[in-house]
Amino acid sequence: MRNPAIAFVTKAALVAAVLLSVRVAAAQGNYEIQVYGADTVSPKTLMTELHSNYTIEGQKYYVNGVIPTNHQEHETLELTEGINDWSEIGFYVFTSEQDGHGVQWVGDHIRPRVRAPDSWHLPVGLSLSTEIGYQRAVYSPDTWTWEIRPIIDKTAGRWYFAVNPALERTWHGPDVNQGLGFSPGTKVGYDFTRVVSGGLEYYADFGRLGAFDSLHQQQQQIFVVTDLNTSPKWEINIGVGVGPTAATDHLIVKGILGRRFDWGRHSAVE
Amino acid sequence: MRTPVPLSALTRRRFTQLSGLAIGSLALPGWVRAGTAPDVSLEIAPYTLEASPKHHVKTVAYNGQIPGPLFRMREGQTQSVEIRNMTSEPEIVHWHGLFLPSEIDGAMEEGTPMIAAGASTRYTMTPKPPGFRWYHTHTTAGKNLTKAQYGGLHGLLLVEPRDNPAPYDREVFLGLHDWRGQFLASDDGYMNPVYDVTTINGKMLGHGDPIRVKQGERVLMHILNSSATEVHWISFSGHSFKVVALDGNAVPEPQPVAMLRLAPAERVSAIVEMNNAGVWVLGEVRKHVQATGMGIVVEYANSTGKPVWMQPEELVWNYRLFAKRADAVPDPTIKTINLLFDSKFQGHGNEELWRINGLPYPQNSTPETSPLLQNGRRYRLVMKNKSMDDHPMHLHRHTFEVRRLEDGAEIAGLRKDVVLVHAGGIVEVEFVADNPGKTLFHCHQQDHMDRGFMMVFNYA
Repeated sequence: MRNPAIAFVTKAALVAAVLLSVRVAAAQGNYEIQVYGADTVSPKTLMTELHSNYTIEGQKYYVNGVIPTNHQEHETLELTEGINDWSEIGFYVFTSEQDGHGVQWVGDHIRPRVRAPDSWHLPVGLSLSTEIGYQRAVYSPDTWTWEIRPIIDKTAGRWYFAVNPALERTWHGPDVNQGLGFSPGTKVGYDFTRVVSGGLEYYADFGRLGAFDSLHQQQQQIFVVTDLNTSPKWEINIGVGVGPTAATDHLIVKGILGRRFDWGRHSAVE
Repeated sequence: MRTPVPLSALTRRRFTQLSGLAIGSLALPGWVRAGTAPDVSLEIAPYTLEASPKHHVKTVAYNGQIPGPLFRMREGQTQSVEIRNMTSEPEIVHWHGLFLPSEIDGAMEEGTPMIAAGASTRYTMTPKPPGFRWYHTHTTAGKNLTKAQYGGLHGLLLVEPRDNPAPYDREVFLGLHDWRGQFLASDDGYMNPVYDVTTINGKMLGHGDPIRVKQGERVLMHILNSSATEVHWISFSGHSFKVVALDGNAVPEPQPVAMLRLAPAERVSAIVEMNNAGVWVLGEVRKHVQATGMGIVVEYANSTGKPVWMQPEELVWNYRLFAKRADAVPDPTIKTINLLFDSKFQGHGNEELWRINGLPYPQNSTPETSPLLQNGRRYRLVMKNKSMDDHPMHLHRHTFEVRRLEDGAEIAGLRKDVVLVHAGGIVEVEFVADNPGKTLFHCHQQDHMDRGFMMVFNYA
């Protein structure tokens, strides 16, 4: 009998392959700057995260009606609920604050995710996320987008590695005919102590799959980050990132503060 | 002239090489020369356990069964032993709970030679003290969760007491075990083995023969937790256990309890009055563990129907229930040995390195760092657990008396060879150093002992 998890992942991949025929928007979001790990949130657990990103040096001019990113403060609320021990669903509320624009709602996304169950005994963590959402045109010319993100990670001793070779497409907006975009993210971390880990995170948007943009037009960012493992309930990630290409915001600081809430009713026995 | 190699400097591989020489040079016991059959014959060989028709585990076993054969011995009556290792790895058999010489106790760290692959060993032993004991492998698993105690290589041993701890009509022996483990990072980042399959006497719930009983019987249940790493909680629906012995030693205050808690390597002997006819489940109290198989059906004569499980609402167990109260009167003749347990972080993708008094084994077991025991003297081990894990601590070749638990009150009369020291807690035990020879003291959690959580006590 087929494993239901395999069937689900296979179907999800097939549907994605059919629908992902169009290139995603190249506009830089910077609302959630995070390389995903493969693990999912436990069932009956709600993970709440606040992503706070401030663009110290970004785009200073309107481009195609999009508000410049320079000195924008992005606050994103992410709520993730575990469904079972191999799946979860996440929901995002994006906001932006900036002089002259005040606090603005930017958009919402929904993100189901499945992972390879522990019973598969894989040597790496493996999961597949898909994210669908809307963002206002003044913040992103492509208003409806879809992303599919494979996630592979591995912890080895003090080292942690994660790769997210994400593919994006636009459903509505100027890039609707641009096809698939390739937007990978990777992370390398090292445990200095039980609590303090440090590392590098890399984010990119190479442009259309099969016809990458010139390096000048690609988005390329490297963040120096630290993760503070203060408690199983809390998640703390802080980083500073630079973007050396013309299409990238040049200097961003980011922070993620997460808290797990276990709302399940557990007997004293369990 | 050859330079003697200190034991602590030997690698396990080197020791195995030497062990063949050692076996060959030992004088053969008289029973071997006479050509008589041994009283105890163990063959260690590959074996496939059928925990259920859908769950097969490739492992090794004693005499083709799990648990290995139950041996019954008389206290003080010499036994001839032959062990044949038919596997491709060196093996060693530890007689857990017996007062044996270091040379045959079954720990490489004490000087017992390992049995090379394809080799055999023969010796005689005099079993004591009386009570429910067991025997098991004492090898290293490392990251291979199919080897050593993970592989379930164990068997049961009863050294018959002159007087039984309580009247009973029949005995039942039950062995708890966890199979098919894998290391997962827990929520706080520690590597923690989790298991797909759990069994009682090698079978998952519903797949072995039921325990068949009669109304009015008094059944003495001897229960062993042979798990490599897991504490188990056992209850018997519709019945209670009257605990009469722990780790094979009669308790001073036998008490009825609703459930048993057994840390790895612990044993409980309890009388169950069969006074509630029906078909019942005896099994792990925690549902998620029982769901992986840890349970067995108990069926009364002339009773039929689906086995009934009554879910307890809380976990209750305390060693204190079975001990006498005692006054904390300092005895100047007792020497205190302080033992501090902690761990060194090795990365979230690694297990901890475990330490006693700041050092892992073997660095903590040199003449400069390990306790030196005086024959005949009484010692108090003050075990302070500064780590975030519980540890089932085992002393080889001796029995200790538990004297103080985590809540600080003194107790007496509770003799054991394994005691669970909770995270952050302090437990104190006393023992008389009356069995000269190297004596291994270690956490019985396989992944902990493999990562340094051992210490060898030497006699002066």
